[in-house]
Amino acid sequence: MRSLLLAAAMILLCFFLASPQVLAANSASAIVTASTETGSPAGDAQIHTQESDARHLSKDGAAHGNSGHVNLGELLPIWSCIPFACMLLSIALFPLLLPEFWHHHFGKIAAFWAACLGIPFLIAYKWIALHEILHIILADYVPFIILLWSLYTVSGGILLRGSLRGTPAVNTLILAIGTLLASWMGTTGAAMLLIRPFLRANKDRKNRTFMVVFFIFLVANVGGSLTPLGDPPLFLGFLHGVSFFWTLKIFPHMLLVVGLLLLVYFFLDAYYYRKERPSGKISDEPRELLRLEGYHNFLFLLGIVGSVLLSGLVDLGEVNTFGIHRAVQDWARDGLLILMGVFSMVTTSIRIREDNDFTWFPIIEVAYLFIGIFITMIPCLLILKAGSDGALAVLIDSVKKPYHYFWVTGALSGFLDNAPTYLTFFNTAIGSFYAGLPESEAVPLLMSERAVYLAAISTGAVFFGACSYIGNAPNFMVRSISEEAGTPMPSFFGYILKYSLVFLIPVFIVVTLVFF
Amino acid sequence: MKFEKVLFHTQFRAHAFNSLKTLFRLKACGLKEIVLVYVIPRETVGFVPYGGFLKEEEQRIRKQIKCRFESWQKAVEKAGMKCTVRIQTGILNASILKIAENEKVDLIVTGAKKRTLFEKIYVGSHILDILRRSTVPVMMGRYMVQFETEDGVLSRKNDQIFQRPLLATDWSPPSERGLAAITAFRGIVEEAMVVHVIDAKLTKGVNASRMKALDKKSRQRLDAYCARLEKENIAAESHLCIGRPVSEILRISRETEATMIIIGRTGKDWMEEYWLGGVSHRVAEISELPVLLVP
Repeated sequence: MRSLLLAAAMILLCFFLASPQVLAANSASAIVTASTETGSPAGDAQIHTQESDARHLSKDGAAHGNSGHVNLGELLPIWSCIPFACMLLSIALFPLLLPEFWHHHFGKIAAFWAACLGIPFLIAYKWIALHEILHIILADYVPFIILLWSLYTVSGGILLRGSLRGTPAVNTLILAIGTLLASWMGTTGAAMLLIRPFLRANKDRKNRTFMVVFFIFLVANVGGSLTPLGDPPLFLGFLHGVSFFWTLKIFPHMLLVVGLLLLVYFFLDAYYYRKERPSGKISDEPRELLRLEGYHNFLFLLGIVGSVLLSGLVDLGEVNTFGIHRAVQDWARDGLLILMGVFSMVTTSIRIREDNDFTWFPIIEVAYLFIGIFITMIPCLLILKAGSDGALAVLIDSVKKPYHYFWVTGALSGFLDNAPTYLTFFNTAIGSFYAGLPESEAVPLLMSERAVYLAAISTGAVFFGACSYIGNAPNFMVRSISEEAGTPMPSFFGYILKYSLVFLIPVFIVVTLVFF
Repeated sequence: MKFEKVLFHTQFRAHAFNSLKTLFRLKACGLKEIVLVYVIPRETVGFVPYGGFLKEEEQRIRKQIKCRFESWQKAVEKAGMKCTVRIQTGILNASILKIAENEKVDLIVTGAKKRTLFEKIYVGSHILDILRRSTVPVMMGRYMVQFETEDGVLSRKNDQIFQRPLLATDWSPPSERGLAAITAFRGIVEEAMVVHVIDAKLTKGVNASRMKALDKKSRQRLDAYCARLEKENIAAESHLCIGRPVSEILRISRETEATMIIIGRTGKDWMEEYWLGGVSHRVAEISELPVLLVP
């Protein structure tokens, strides 16, 4: 296995180095270097161009600008996306085929694919590549992980104790509450807060599998569609300039999906409840009053909402970090998010976290995997941003209508993680409609002129994340907790065939007909 | 204080079974039941990234552990005590504390892992967390240890741990309970040592007469402790010294050939405990002997 992976990396390196585009890029860099070394006015001009491009890039996230410099998106070959595809396929296939191997080596696998892209990319494009890698780490990965960490830490400090009786009405109410909370405390936070009480409430019920599946549909996915805090793809959109409240525009879409799913759930639950009642045993355990512990963490959640909101509203200028220009308010937001997490850790009793079965492992997993995802996705994003001048022109030209965006973003989100998929199609839309425009100008236009496309991408990424266990990170956490608690969960394909195709896809068809 | 039910947590490190066997002597002091505990860390089987829960792997581990515990169970039963096995998936320290609470044990015995430099700097290990939070005495067992002395690295086998216990007292209520623990070991204790260390930091600037008074008072208190032990037919000797508490306790434990250190848990707040560690935790950390921490 190890030698196979090594061979793949070497082949990729050779391809990169032998690529004619790389030679062209290298000669372009050589010209820049030569003129810099001579210290000529022309050299100064080149440096200036490069710096201003970098500034553009940091602000816009766009590939190197438009004037007299290498536009990587136009140069990169399509096979430079192979490590990204392999990274996502690893996430999709390893847990299915080799779960134990994956469990113990996922970090190495992520590092391998990151190295497969990173090393040849750095050798071929040197400083430009380094800039791109640093940019995606500092501007996307770091804030992304910090937000997830803070939401995970703070919500892990809230514990719902007590016993509920899992009647159809109570269960539907829990799902509705979880769906509402998900947009404000993240799908992971809401799912972690409610899954154990939900399982406890239904421990005497015979048919519990469908309940957890609907919990994944609603709380772990659809519920997160209203704010950038809800689901990672929307936060990535926020980082790229989509305003905080823009996502409220997809409230009607969410309402339709949630309404339909809750209705179906209620009838399904009522049917099973009636069927189980004659034989269903009632627990002899004394009922414990429902109570919330660690609720002061809601203050920190408010702090998180405020920090993210603030970073979208104020402009405190820019600061250069390792050559990457980032807005001061973005750093301030990241700092405040860390502070909220630390406050939560310090002020919350360790017993609450333990009773929540809180562990750092899931967030560490996400951190490991996403560094691989973010690094390997660099070429893909650059190519897509180049629009019809890039190697993925075919994709850009074929995805035209809003419903195309909804279904293509969705179909891929269901089987690949929805965060990178969102970013991919977000860039596809920018490449299609505003090729050549810096991101800071393109995104506001996308939000206003082509809002339906952005809505299609956002809803596609968030809603379809529920289609499989690998669509969104909380899905696997919920599955893991439920299986540990003794609730049988369907297999990977069982989930798709018995639940996603039966319940979700028809609902998404209705969404398409109504909105796209 | 009584030790009728003991929780023995193991991760099946080397000499774990021998460490368990050292507890058999407690039968003479009324030990009736040993609860053998193994915790499968949740991250070993749960939260497979984008996967789920490794149910089969968990079952395999459970079977394997159950099988390993069978011979241990037989040995305990052969020694005339009841033995129950608890295998649980979860967070290590939280699970141990929860099982201890549910089983209403009188003592938690857990092994000590040789720690890396990083772990030594960062005091928050699972075991220290148990020491910090348990409401019942916790014994950090050490069967075979290597330790550094001025004469080089020495090896030590702790197989008669209750023979010569050393009580390090600071006159606090936990120290009083430590004394009660020694009396609970009556019948298997050959001789007990009672030690008090006057912290050198506290004696700076103290004049000779006050020093003398402090010395006298400490000796009287030590004698009172010894008298209480002797009343229970336990031979006892006292030691008073001035210096750094941790190093003095360790020095006397070696000089007197103690077989176990009993110490009351220091009542610092958790922040201080976490980053600096109290005297009790430092002793538990450094000593080559089993350390019994009494809350």
